[in-house]
Amino acid sequence: MIALYVDRQSWMHRLSAGSKLLVLCVSSMLMLPVDSLPVLSAFLLCVLALYLSAGREMFARIALLRPVLPFLAIIGLLHVLAGSYAQAGQVLIRLIAMLLLANLVTLTTRMRDMMTAMTPLFRPLAPLGLSPRRLSLAVALMVRFAPVLLATMEALTESWRARSSRNPRWRLLAPFTLQALRMAETVGEALQARGGVAVARERVSRS
Amino acid sequence: MLAWLRKKTAAASAKPIAQTDAVTLSEVTVDRGERTVLDGISLSLNERSIGLVGDNGAGKSTLLKLLNGLLLPDAGTVNVFGHDTRQHGQFLPALAGFIFQNPDHQLIFPTVAEELAFGLEQLGQSAEEAETGARAFLRQYRVEALADKPVHCLSEGQKQFVCVLSVLIMRPRLLLLDEPFSSLDLTTRHRLLGLMQTQAERVLMVSHDLELLAGFERVIWLRDGGVHRDGVPAEVLPAYRADAMARLHAEPAWGTEQ
Repeated sequence: MIALYVDRQSWMHRLSAGSKLLVLCVSSMLMLPVDSLPVLSAFLLCVLALYLSAGREMFARIALLRPVLPFLAIIGLLHVLAGSYAQAGQVLIRLIAMLLLANLVTLTTRMRDMMTAMTPLFRPLAPLGLSPRRLSLAVALMVRFAPVLLATMEALTESWRARSSRNPRWRLLAPFTLQALRMAETVGEALQARGGVAVARERVSRS
Repeated sequence: MLAWLRKKTAAASAKPIAQTDAVTLSEVTVDRGERTVLDGISLSLNERSIGLVGDNGAGKSTLLKLLNGLLLPDAGTVNVFGHDTRQHGQFLPALAGFIFQNPDHQLIFPTVAEELAFGLEQLGQSAEEAETGARAFLRQYRVEALADKPVHCLSEGQKQFVCVLSVLIMRPRLLLLDEPFSSLDLTTRHRLLGLMQTQAERVLMVSHDLELLAGFERVIWLRDGGVHRDGVPAEVLPAYRADAMARLHAEPAWGTEQ
């Protein structure tokens, strides 16, 4: 679920990224073995209360769950078929609560702070050539270009609709891919124009 | 708005200076496959504001990219303030800032503060220093309210403004502008250009906005990979316009039979 940071200051925005991630991690671990429906429901209610406490606008962001609903339905169905309604209920409530909680962290944490908090975890990978800086740049690019790509798709759909009464469906896939690739090239160029990915510390000695 | 832009000039001139003041191309050739994009071109680019005009495919963008080191010449040398782009390419991003046509291709970070901080990190600052510096820079331009805004929520004008700031924060001496104003209204065009001209000692701009270029010191007209005319706007621009119109009337219009 790619949720975008909401630029609005709530009390949760002011908490450090590390502490939010820790709460997320601990509560997920605690909830994982719990099977009791009342406890799980209470957990979900707490999460919803957190959304409410961050403001009405943030509460509306629960709608971001919508794309996941079909998958939840399938998971629920599988559990009903293989087990019982109660089991399906447990799994679904737990999943929804955790998704919402994780999403809340994304909504209230700036990407840079998130990456800073996670950097120590990536450090062991450094000898393999995966520098935290590269990684954080990759994540930043993903978050930045998700809406741009969506807008590209919308523009393509619009220009299709302007000339056709039928639905474009899969036929926009090829032009979309081409546009995305070309955009990637231009973005790469812009990145390079500002010095590229390498850390400039040792590079630029302007004295 | 322009008043506070001018106030910044003094601060900008105090930045560290590289070895020379000259920006030159000597007998530069650039080939792209079968086509020669620039053909043995030699230029000294030492005016404060230079416009580049010419048809699509005349080599304007290629010329800009050579000066930032995005492209290296196939023959000849490009020297930017004493740095040969082939040998000292690593210094160029800080010396020659590049602003592209579409801000959506240039803004690489989700929020405005991160976008600006990136430039400072490129100059060797730590993440914290860069963050503080970026916020201070925004405050200087009285747009600190933009700091935590997601970039995709900004208007076109604001986006291009952020692009300009994110390049200016690196304090480049030369600004390379590749049709940066195509999607902007008239007021924003003049504002941004005014800002850039007060902040960088040299501006080289590709544009089809002849009105805007009329205020420049020099205009270079490129044609078929070479310099066709080079001089003050009052001479070059009317000639360019007349030539474009003459060619328009000499060829049969699109959609008519020959």
